[in-house]
Amino acid sequence: MARDADVPQQIQTDAKIVVKGITSVFHLKKTRTTPAGEFIALNDINLEVRKGEFLVLVGPSGCGKSTLLDILAGLAHPTSGGVYIDGKKVTGPALDRGIVLQGYALFPWRTVRQNVEFGLEIKKVPKQERAAISDNFIHLVGLDGFADRFPHELSGGMKQRVAIARALAYDPEVLLMDEPFAAVDAQTRESLQDELLRIWEATGKTILFVTHSIEEAVFLGDRVAVLTPNPGTLREIVKIDLPRPRHNSDTRSSAEFGWIRRKIWELLQNAPSDARPHPNAVPVADAISPTAAL
Amino acid sequence: MSKAELMESGETVAHGGVDLSGALDSLNEKLMDYYGIAVLVILWEVAPRLGWIDSQFFPALSSVFAEGVKLWADGTLLLHIAVSLQRTFLGLMGATALAIPLGFVLGGWFPRFTRFLSPLLNLFGQINAFSLFPLFVLFFGIGELAKFSIIFWSCLWPILFMTIAGVQRVEPLFIKLARSMGGGRRILLVHVLIPGALPSIFTGVRIGATVAFLMLIAAEMIGASSGLGWLVHNSSVNYIIPRLYLAALLIALLGMIFNYSLHRLEAHLIHGTTN
Repeated sequence: MARDADVPQQIQTDAKIVVKGITSVFHLKKTRTTPAGEFIALNDINLEVRKGEFLVLVGPSGCGKSTLLDILAGLAHPTSGGVYIDGKKVTGPALDRGIVLQGYALFPWRTVRQNVEFGLEIKKVPKQERAAISDNFIHLVGLDGFADRFPHELSGGMKQRVAIARALAYDPEVLLMDEPFAAVDAQTRESLQDELLRIWEATGKTILFVTHSIEEAVFLGDRVAVLTPNPGTLREIVKIDLPRPRHNSDTRSSAEFGWIRRKIWELLQNAPSDARPHPNAVPVADAISPTAAL
Repeated sequence: MSKAELMESGETVAHGGVDLSGALDSLNEKLMDYYGIAVLVILWEVAPRLGWIDSQFFPALSSVFAEGVKLWADGTLLLHIAVSLQRTFLGLMGATALAIPLGFVLGGWFPRFTRFLSPLLNLFGQINAFSLFPLFVLFFGIGELAKFSIIFWSCLWPILFMTIAGVQRVEPLFIKLARSMGGGRRILLVHVLIPGALPSIFTGVRIGATVAFLMLIAAEMIGASSGLGWLVHNSSVNYIIPRLYLAALLIALLGMIFNYSLHRLEAHLIHGTTN
């Protein structure tokens, strides 16, 4: 973090989020079989996200996309470079960013309503106001009548809806989503995707969405940032010009959808030749999604 | 009474008949768990009276019960129960008051130090408190302090272990999430670590309470002039067999009530935990 001082605290920009020269290096401890070394999780990532944009980060496991999201959330610090929201440098977690994690992370000792109100409690919103806000967001994610249930009484898809409502409830401007739909079945996943687009259109949030599914990336995003591993590098940003509102039924069957998916798949296949191959590298397509090779 | 009313009441009677057999069924269902106890009670009464076993060593339940009524009437029974319960509570409360905060500090803030300490803690936890009783007497005399310290010692370790384990096993995602919302140390402690560790802590307290109660009885047998343990010991020395059974029965009952109330308290405090 020695170079951290060179990163300006503020920059002039119109973009909502600016990721500037982010490099993240992990120091590996010496083990019996491998010497001590460095693992470059992210290598000089530069990225700009417009206000209200839906940007998807796609890449195989190990490309550093979750690390990048942690840095954006303020939970991890980059080795060098900086993240700016509205031109102000991110120094730690704050309520201007909402986070949705893969494992739901719903508190089992709280009801749906109490889970949704968690951020509001931290924000010290008065109790009556909290109830009105949580009612609103429980309704938005379609869980009316479930406010007083506990998480163990809900299905996986419902839990993820609660997690989304919780992240939206304290009104963050940016929503960071780390493979939120990876743990639910295919049907639920598609309906959650439809729902997320509806919520996004209704709230106008800026969304950064991490996934390893090319399909999901193309269906959801305004743009898709393709990351390749070893070291984690931003390969290309693909603009998705599919018309909105998108619906699972017709958007996925369009020829353009298939074409963009194919293009991203090729980008992930042909990682640059100078990339140092990882000893236990798997073909990228295998690591991504069984449907990717279609 | 009009004809319509008569018909109505007739119907009610008919329904009543159906309900009665249904009620009997559900009563049978409810009593199912208690049939074993009923059989034991009957055998206990009948076997000594019919001479199947020697009533000198195994007095009938009614004579045990009569002994209980006698002791209750002169107030000594209540005194013994109160003394035993008070000792258990004091020791348990003392151990809980120390072990829970200590467990949070060790498990939450000094994980490396805890790893260094854990073999030591394990060793202390394995020492049967009863075998240390002579030492306790040596240090604290034969009075209440020795009995307090034996209960304190036997409660302390399970509660401390389970608190440390509970704090350390709080789902990391919960912590990550609370931190991502800008939650500070206080939020993490109050809203994540304490509720997350509570089920484990309760298990520790329950184990502690059970062990403590058994230890107390043993301690009272050695050095005391009151309490249920003393009652067992004194009855056996003076060969008052019904009283001995009475005391043993009460110890079992109190242990059950103790455990049950802790269960209820746990169910009341901890909602919606997935098992």
